Amino acid sequence: MAAKKRSGNPSRRSKADREFIAEAEEILERMREDLATLSEQLDAGQEVEPAFVNAIFRSAHSLKGLAGLFGLDGIGDLAHHLEDILDGMRLGRMSMENSSVALLDQAVELFTLLLQRVGDASFEEEGQQLIVDMVAKIDGAVSNSTESVDELEGLNLDPSILRALTEYEEHRLCENIRRGRHLVLVGSTFEIMAFEDGLSELSRAAREVGEIVSTLPSPGEAPESQIRFSLLVASDVSVVDLAERLDSPNTEVSLVLAASNGKPDASQDEATATPTDVESVTAAEPTQEPNAEPVPDAMAARSADIETLKSISDTVRVDIRKLDELMNLVGELVIQRSAISRIAERLAGDSATARVATELGKVHKALDRKLKELQGSVLDVRMVPLRQIFEKLNRVGRRLTRDLNKNVNLEFTGVDTELDKLIVEQLVDPLMHLVRNSFDHAIESSEERIAAGKSPDGNVRIDALQRGNHVVIQVTDDGRGMDPAEIRAKSEALGLIDPDTILTDKECLALVFAAGFSTRNEVSGTSGRGVGMDVVRNNLSDLGGIVDISSEVGEGTTLTMTLPITLAIIQALVVCVGDQRFAIPLNSVFETLLIETSEIQRSEGREILNVRGEALILRRLSDEFDIEPEDDERQYVVVLGLGELRLGLLVDRFEGQQDTVIKSIQGPAANVRGIAGATELGDRGAVLVIDVSSIVEDAFRRRDAA
Amino acid sequence: MKNILIVEDSATMRSLLTSTLKDLDVPVKLSEARSGFEALRFLPREDYDLVVTDINMPDINGLELVSFMKGSAKYRSIPLIIVSTEGSERDRDKGLGLGADAYVVKPFEPEALREVARNLLAGAGTRE
Amino acid sequence: MRAVGSDGSEAVPTGDQEWERIARSGANQQSEESEPELIREFLSFGLAGATYAIPVERVREIIRLREVTPMPRVPACITGVVALRGDVVQVVDMRIRLNLEMGAPTRRSRIIVLHGDDDRVTGIAVDSVQEVLRVNEEEIDTVPTQSSSVVSELCKRGDEFVSIVDLDYMLALDEP
Repeated sequence: MAAKKRSGNPSRRSKADREFIAEAEEILERMREDLATLSEQLDAGQEVEPAFVNAIFRSAHSLKGLAGLFGLDGIGDLAHHLEDILDGMRLGRMSMENSSVALLDQAVELFTLLLQRVGDASFEEEGQQLIVDMVAKIDGAVSNSTESVDELEGLNLDPSILRALTEYEEHRLCENIRRGRHLVLVGSTFEIMAFEDGLSELSRAAREVGEIVSTLPSPGEAPESQIRFSLLVASDVSVVDLAERLDSPNTEVSLVLAASNGKPDASQDEATATPTDVESVTAAEPTQEPNAEPVPDAMAARSADIETLKSISDTVRVDIRKLDELMNLVGELVIQRSAISRIAERLAGDSATARVATELGKVHKALDRKLKELQGSVLDVRMVPLRQIFEKLNRVGRRLTRDLNKNVNLEFTGVDTELDKLIVEQLVDPLMHLVRNSFDHAIESSEERIAAGKSPDGNVRIDALQRGNHVVIQVTDDGRGMDPAEIRAKSEALGLIDPDTILTDKECLALVFAAGFSTRNEVSGTSGRGVGMDVVRNNLSDLGGIVDISSEVGEGTTLTMTLPITLAIIQALVVCVGDQRFAIPLNSVFETLLIETSEIQRSEGREILNVRGEALILRRLSDEFDIEPEDDERQYVVVLGLGELRLGLLVDRFEGQQDTVIKSIQGPAANVRGIAGATELGDRGAVLVIDVSSIVEDAFRRRDAA
Repeated sequence: MKNILIVEDSATMRSLLTSTLKDLDVPVKLSEARSGFEALRFLPREDYDLVVTDINMPDINGLELVSFMKGSAKYRSIPLIIVSTEGSERDRDKGLGLGADAYVVKPFEPEALREVARNLLAGAGTRE
Repeated sequence: MRAVGSDGSEAVPTGDQEWERIARSGANQQSEESEPELIREFLSFGLAGATYAIPVERVREIIRLREVTPMPRVPACITGVVALRGDVVQVVDMRIRLNLEMGAPTRRSRIIVLHGDDDRVTGIAVDSVQEVLRVNEEEIDTVPTQSSSVVSELCKRGDEFVSIVDLDYMLALDEP
């Protein structure tokens, strides 16, 4: 096992170890179940379902990967050998017998034992020995396998048929022969420039009668203009029927191998095929000898100590949907609590009920405290540290360093910063893309860097920190930086902006987020094709986050992502326009102002407000949603912030702040631009929640178009 | 300009192959076929200087492609690299037996593949 | 089970009570002697004096009219959204959708909450909810295509025609 310092005492294990054990236990549990099913099938004399062997193979593969990740080489090695034996089985190189299942069982038991003892330094040597023994047994089993090619050679098939078969196709061929099917060759010649339709048709017809084992192309009689395809087809249908169905002026059907068991095929019909198939199968199967070797002494002694699996780990894996339900319930409670508070206020206003109101008020306060605690706990369950993504990014980085032949140091700070699990899961893709971009495009080759006076190795740093209700994640590189002028030129060339649009440097840089900016012509295997920065920005905006970019040519680039800590409960500002109410997420509200209508100025067809010397673009919510506003000399302005952009939203009244849970709207026309969802406000029905980004974007697009 | 045809059904693998092969010392044009089937459609339409093919593909596999190309007067002179999986030595041997000019094993060293490609493009080692 | 309202009038049952009553009425209907597969069940409702029906398995519940919050940028037939025990659901005014004359809501007006595809829930506002009909497949006629496609089939009940609404077509509104 790896020589890392770990504590063998379960309560003193590191969080990482516990996570590994939790996941590994799941995988082992699956393997046990699948093995049990497999044994049952073998015991019942049934055909072993390839799907199960495949599933166990994949479990071993996952276990191997997982162990590698946590540096547990012993477990990883054992898993690797297990993978080999399972691969042999699923490719038919090894037959599934009771002896092999027994071996797999033993391996799973050993894994269980090793898991229990993760980190226990005193067990290391013993564990090592057990692994070595098991590996030896597995290796022995693999070399005992019968090569299926022997079967094929005994059949006197035309070698030209076998030459171009891959191992998997050979396996399929043997399988079909074992099941007593006929083998025929269906051949046809087509035009070399237009063979697709003809071949599809031929293949379709062949699939109707059996399995296409392989498709062999060869030059046609006139090689310049023709191509010939020979399909090797295995079928239960009698040869006579096959010839009838597939033969045609352009197609020839020839028998390669009659079904085994020497049945006269002229008299064979499908009705009798089935019982004889069963015979041939059982005849061909190797005799099942119980072959299990005695359990080694060390393991026998230990098996008495093996605790039930459930008690090993103390983490619980939770379905994220259950957490969502929990969050919803807490959200509902929060809303009801607000309703109670308002009832208390109403009661307080009436002298007859004032005393009851005071009592109610006290209860409400206590409820409020407990609810906040509950909310905190549930949120806590959903929160996971960014460490997991960062580890994944680390691996991506190492692979990129190899593939690109660039040395880039990848550093992380704020590894323990926590975010809602849902957000974290969605962050993986955008972050990976940004890291790939930095490595591939931003960081120069070492020669370029030395020439520019930089260190030969590139540096990419990812920082995460919490700022109040938000988490900020920055990806900084010291590469070649981005030139606003270049980006602008490229955008013009792509037709994304008009040549005479005036843009600041920052706005030029932001153009990389425009849809269509990343060209699909760039062949860069590591960065992937056509996944542009626009996708990254959209992903983030779906999570309620935004991304900013800043850069110095020759020095480097920094991408800053700001995300809300949790999606679930948000604070909203409730506003009124005319007789309708709307909720605006507070984390998008920069400030609020109360103004006289006379302060509104008009400039170039837009309404603007002078705020501390700067011009703030205004947008009337009544115009946005076509609502009749109240006529008043005074108006409220909600200044919305989206990244660097500011928009003043004009409304009639404020109704206060509220904790709300945003629900998605259901219905036939639910997707409306400008509306993010809706929330329930106690006894007052549904209130629509405004989608700040689209309102702000639309306002600025209108400004640019004007 | 050297014309290279890559035949590979896995998108990730294809990406890797194209990114490796775009960095040869000579200008290259890379075409991608997602199956042996597609490769057969590409072949008559252009003159290729090199074909790199995976072995395990559905419908028409790499071995069948090699067999076709090396059995055809028109295509047998095109150098052919087969990409095999570690552990499938028999497939690889068959490919070589059918006339493939070189092989690379997955996971491959990018520089190794480039070496082989450069050599074959320069005309050395093409079997006749 | 009928409750008495604060003004002494009979309160109209809603929600689960109502649904139970209607469902029970359906179960008591005589069914003709035919194979079960040929019987289709519908919930019938009244709209501008005529009777319409929808497949009963699409009905999630029936609720009384409640405050509908208007929504911008939606087709005219969508009057807004209602809050329904944690869900926020759009409501379709069936008179507008089917191009019928306008009318004022009454005490019998209801919102039928439907299951859509992919778990989407929608409400439709109707004048009254009547009963569960068990109709033999043979009694259902397809409507000739010149007529509105929202109503695809008809069946006869007594001397009245019941228009069967094609829900999926009806709910396929063009996104604005």
